[in-house]
Amino acid sequence: MKYDKLFSLAKERGIDQIELAVSTSKDLSFSLFHGEVDSYNSSNSSSYMIRGIYNGKLGSVSSDVYSNDLVEYFINEIINNAKFIENDDPVFIYKGSEKYKKINTYNKDLEKISVDEKLAKLHELEDKIKAIDSRIVEIESVEYSESVSSETIINSNGLKLSQKNNYFFIYGAALAKEGEQTKSGGDYRLGNDFSKLNIDELAKDIADDTLNQLGGEPCQSGAYKAVLGPQVVKALLNAYISSAIAEDVQKNSSLFVGKLGQKVASRHITVEDKPLARTIFARYFDDEGVATYNKAIIKNGVLQTYLYNLTTAAKDGVESTGNAQGAGSKVYTGTWYTEMKPGKKSQEELFKEVGEGVYITEVQGLHAGLNPRSGNFSLQSTGFLIKDGKKDRPLDIITVSGNLVSLFNDVTAVGNDSRESIGGKFPSVIVKKINVGGK
Amino acid sequence: MISKSLAIIVLNKALETGADYAEIFYENSSGNGLTIENGKVSTSSSGITSGVGLRLLKENRCVYGYTSDLSKKGLLSLADSLNKSFNGDRLITVTKLDMIKGKNRNPITKSYKEFSLEDRIALVKEGTEEIASLNDPRIVRYIGSFISNHRSVAVFNSKGKWFKRDTEFARLFYSVVTMDENGMETGFEAPGCQQDVSFFYNKVHAREIAKKAAEVALINLNAKECPSGKMPVIIGNGWGGVLFHEACGHALEASSVSKGLSCFSGKQGQQIASPLVTALDDSTIPGEWGSIDIDDEGNFGTKRVLIKDGILMDFMIDDFNGRRMNREGNGSCRRQNYKYCPTSRMSNTYIANGKSTKEEIIAATKLGLYCVGFNGGSVNPATGEFNFGASEAYIVRDGKICEPVKGATLIGKGEEILKNIDMVGNDCAFGQGMCGASSGSIRTNVGQPTIRVKEITVGGRGGELK
Repeated sequence: MKYDKLFSLAKERGIDQIELAVSTSKDLSFSLFHGEVDSYNSSNSSSYMIRGIYNGKLGSVSSDVYSNDLVEYFINEIINNAKFIENDDPVFIYKGSEKYKKINTYNKDLEKISVDEKLAKLHELEDKIKAIDSRIVEIESVEYSESVSSETIINSNGLKLSQKNNYFFIYGAALAKEGEQTKSGGDYRLGNDFSKLNIDELAKDIADDTLNQLGGEPCQSGAYKAVLGPQVVKALLNAYISSAIAEDVQKNSSLFVGKLGQKVASRHITVEDKPLARTIFARYFDDEGVATYNKAIIKNGVLQTYLYNLTTAAKDGVESTGNAQGAGSKVYTGTWYTEMKPGKKSQEELFKEVGEGVYITEVQGLHAGLNPRSGNFSLQSTGFLIKDGKKDRPLDIITVSGNLVSLFNDVTAVGNDSRESIGGKFPSVIVKKINVGGK
Repeated sequence: MISKSLAIIVLNKALETGADYAEIFYENSSGNGLTIENGKVSTSSSGITSGVGLRLLKENRCVYGYTSDLSKKGLLSLADSLNKSFNGDRLITVTKLDMIKGKNRNPITKSYKEFSLEDRIALVKEGTEEIASLNDPRIVRYIGSFISNHRSVAVFNSKGKWFKRDTEFARLFYSVVTMDENGMETGFEAPGCQQDVSFFYNKVHAREIAKKAAEVALINLNAKECPSGKMPVIIGNGWGGVLFHEACGHALEASSVSKGLSCFSGKQGQQIASPLVTALDDSTIPGEWGSIDIDDEGNFGTKRVLIKDGILMDFMIDDFNGRRMNREGNGSCRRQNYKYCPTSRMSNTYIANGKSTKEEIIAATKLGLYCVGFNGGSVNPATGEFNFGASEAYIVRDGKICEPVKGATLIGKGEEILKNIDMVGNDCAFGQGMCGASSGSIRTNVGQPTIRVKEITVGGRGGELK
């Protein structure tokens, strides 16, 4: 077998347990500018993560290449790295879960569609965006990309798991100009069923996103009642539920310390981690090889569980929740696919309920403007005023700020307008109060 | 490493169908990382990044692919799959490769490969012990880490040129989480360089940086919420340069300028900033975090004056995007690693010294915000709309620095901010960061002296500025 030398040399050198995770990826992408293909990328790559337990400590090494010549280096690095570890956290090379619920995330039809056919869709998209409105002065870019990838875990405890998936991503961005104002907008579609791709709809969404921002100006600074759109709910709620990561709770650096079984959000909020949902993001085992399962993190506002990997679960005396991610020298924890339960009200009904306020459609700069530990955020935003219960003029150059804890406790209604985007599905919500920085 | 003779075979395969330029980028990098959490070594890791990227150009079209299979078969198969994008006749045949000659400005004097894990641990622990010695119960978690990377790169192109370079960089990080009854705050410091390890003993000091990270996290516990609205903002030196990086630097990269997609496209020679502003991008400073000796397409790094006395002078240009601008590349072509198609990027970008002192700028400010530490930001180059977050900030009242405030985010349009700079200090310094764009995450320095902007929109939770 290809990896025999690794396993036998590990044993010989006193590495008790060893694991190899292999990821492969075959990617293709191309983009158009002014009707011409201006970039075309194609690649085939692998990456190898090798972890071993030596004298009770975990050592690791990663590489883009694997050959029998490198095995000596891999083993030496694992031992050398493990030797210096001082903390006493329990470490694991997993033996396997009792049951795995395999799901198909690979659609073979996607690979059968020719590049020309995909390229034709891109031309169609570019032409259609342009044709929608004369204020669209430029198509910044239209791009198509697709990826076929696989994840395999093999370890000395007899575990062998593997999953293959594929997806495509098609994206367009446009510039619109009116007077002195230039605005840029865009949208995308993601999936692995090419037959469901509707170019007319995508072109319209890209054009709308761009044109809707024209004519915007700041509003007066102050506190507003607000509708937060699906993208905003996704960004802020994902940051909030990252507080459920057990390692941060154990290290006393999470907003959810001591909150298990308690209210952490308004009763309108139910959010689940759904690795087994039928999406292109589905994963039936996590990065330590533990079987994943769907679970509520917050149900009717009450915190249901922390998110665990094997190490943090052992420290709390519970089972791993199958949320291990990026298992290298350190095993991280994260959600796979988060879905917030939608409500019954349409967006129009939400605007009506707010009466006077703001509708925030996008927030930017999360890495700089949001601190998940304190929950404080202050973010560049775009959106609209809400006036007389209806969506009014666009807002330009504004920030929204607040704290995640009070924000999610202040949710008074949830929309039925759930939208799927990368890694999750979220609806709009109404919040009692958000601070807007403008004029 | 791949041989010159193999490189010629692969280039000629790539050029078979009419590409007017082909280039092989070979990389073999190895890195080490170490983390010490609450005083104990918690992780230590090593890794190899190794592969080849192949770029083919024909007029304004770019084709890129990469592989980690470095065999002749693997490389020829990559060239064969990429050249299918073109269907013309061969324009160029490569017969020989001459080495590009020039002095290496960032040579490795003493390799980090000889900096043992024991010594790395001892270095990081100097700082973590300093944090522990503060003995402050509000410090709930502190992490120190050290990374180093050795990168061997070779480029072979169809102009018959080739070069190879070995470079190294290293960075020391400290982050601190503090908590009291009112909530949790964080502090972070991370100096880095392309110099040997003496940098971390002589030019920066682990104890001082670690202490600084802890101080910011502690100060912010007592800080009030930052007010919001439009106000005068003094931006501190060093990391404050992230303002220029986001508000202006990205929009001066040929990747957007060349397609007319930047708010600064076509404005060369025009007044785009206050006459007090002169800004540069200089990749030639030896050993600096963002310096490059030679870029990823074989052009030597240069010192570029981007803005002189407020007038737009130049851009960051790579050869490919330069085609649309009728310009040659000026040494700005960079990528994270072989998995990324390279493009024009910044290196060490900074606003040059002016005449005021920091004290004069503060004394001249009646009511405003003074931002000292920053978290980073982002920008849309087409509209120039940017944002960045302050991690350490104070209110200035009647020319004096007053109470600390937290949670400030600054937003605006680059074009407007540049024109609103009304004071420029004389204390220029750099801050080290990682900049993300289409060719991946690369090392860049931001920099500036203390400056004042007449008016910026500030987002915070503290209501009106009084």
